[in-house]
Amino acid sequence: MLRDITLGQYMPGNTVVHRLDPRTKIILTIFYIAIIFCVASPIWYVIPLVYLLAVSKLSGLTPKRLLKSVKPLRFLLILTFVLNLFFSSGTTVWIQWGVLRVTREGFITAVHFSMRLIFLVAGTSILTLTTSPVALSDGIEMLLKPLKVIHFPAHELAMMMTIALRFIPTLIEEADKIMKAQMARGADFESGNLIKRAKAMIPLLVPLFVSAFRRAGDLAMAMEARCYHGGEGRTRLRVLKYAKIDLYALLITVGALVVTILCGMWIK
Amino acid sequence: MPIQVEHLTHTYMPGSPFAATALHDVSLTIEDGEFIGLLGHTGSGKTTLVQHLNGLVKPTSGRVVVDGLDLSEKGVSLLEVRKKVGLVFQYPEYQLFEETVAKDIAFGPKNMGLSAAETDERVRAAMRRVGLDYETMAERSPFELSGGQMRRVAIAGVLAMQPKVLILDEPTAGLDPAGRRSILTMIRELHAAGGLTVIMVSHSMDDISTLATRLVVMSRGELVMTGSPREVFLRQDALRSIGLGVPQAAELTHALIAEGFSLPDDLYTLSEVRDAILRLAGKENA
Repeated sequence: MLRDITLGQYMPGNTVVHRLDPRTKIILTIFYIAIIFCVASPIWYVIPLVYLLAVSKLSGLTPKRLLKSVKPLRFLLILTFVLNLFFSSGTTVWIQWGVLRVTREGFITAVHFSMRLIFLVAGTSILTLTTSPVALSDGIEMLLKPLKVIHFPAHELAMMMTIALRFIPTLIEEADKIMKAQMARGADFESGNLIKRAKAMIPLLVPLFVSAFRRAGDLAMAMEARCYHGGEGRTRLRVLKYAKIDLYALLITVGALVVTILCGMWIK
Repeated sequence: MPIQVEHLTHTYMPGSPFAATALHDVSLTIEDGEFIGLLGHTGSGKTTLVQHLNGLVKPTSGRVVVDGLDLSEKGVSLLEVRKKVGLVFQYPEYQLFEETVAKDIAFGPKNMGLSAAETDERVRAAMRRVGLDYETMAERSPFELSGGQMRRVAIAGVLAMQPKVLILDEPTAGLDPAGRRSILTMIRELHAAGGLTVIMVSHSMDDISTLATRLVVMSRGELVMTGSPREVFLRQDALRSIGLGVPQAAELTHALIAEGFSLPDDLYTLSEVRDAILRLAGKENA
């Protein structure tokens, strides 16, 4: 039952976007976020819209797939829209019910913030949809490396991420097995109220934690047996290399950012 | 309380790119009081098969009937089935979770809704059956016991539900020779005490040869052989071809026959072979 859960949201592929260096993709994502926050009025969302449609075309991810990642946020989205609609200050009143009133300015703000949220989530999901978890943690490690001067543990952080990702399927399998073993002893994980269900999880969680700690100990020992001693002087099997395409992608994105800022200065 | 397995097929994740057939058209009837040795190479479908017998896994097609109840029918109480068919998983010590041995063994009876007095009675009985001393062990934490003791606690946890059928999935895996012998002796005694049908999954021919009354051999999700140990171990080549062997005593017998000694070819226990060799040497014990 638990085995059927798909992990992460990486969609394997071999498109230009998939092949970009993970470091580039992380930086592009940061620039993309900057673009979203520089949009000065709702009409200028046309710039990130064109950008997203282009990336969607290049990456083979349909706009529908991108919107799917916004779905979990639909309640937050509605809340943002409603709050801004009714509680923004403005002068041009459209509708008034008692204390509640909808103004032109409030409506524009509501649209603006909702769009911002949609574009943020839909755009950033491209990073996790086209980059494998391992490449992603490699990219993060390389990008954070310069912070070593202030003793930031970039390598350790990336290693922890990689190990955590690696062990999720193992732990799911283990949980499935323990669950079945307890069900064979008459445990019931599916019925009862919230408190009863939470209590029913104890026979699953205790053995799962015990085995996670045992595995962690074994893994540490196996890593040491293979001479792991931290990131110092460690070489990699796959060395990340920037290509021309990375430069082009960066230039286009920075260009889009500049256009967004200029447009904002032109029409507020 | 016989168990009937009829044309059982099971596919994991059907319809996805990961679809894998674990069992294919398996039919089997298990009678009361039998001691079944379920043999097969890793990945042959043994574990999937036994998980069907108490309704943990549902058939993709075919049916499993326990005591007249079809497990895939709607409205069948799986708790009732699990009371009758106890399943001890591989490495069962990893499922222990309670603070004390007694509390852990009481988990099953409590889930059955038994009273405190009855639960306590069952815990004591189950500990006695697996050879754990109640006075010294009941209040200890299961996590401070040795591997073999933890396994006994886990088996007691299933026995406390007083099942009619006990299924053990590789009960000796990962134990040292002494722990292994004592678990096997315990299983033999549980079966000998009567009233219990035992199904033991194993890939050790030596473990199974002296215990089982009937062997069931699986390969690649199919049931390929069934019969008494004597019948099955005669088919040495067929067993080899599916990655299994025969007990060392049977192997020795076949090696001696190949060397020209005239021994019966269906010997498989150590004492039988010893007697036959001594008889041949004309020095039979007086």
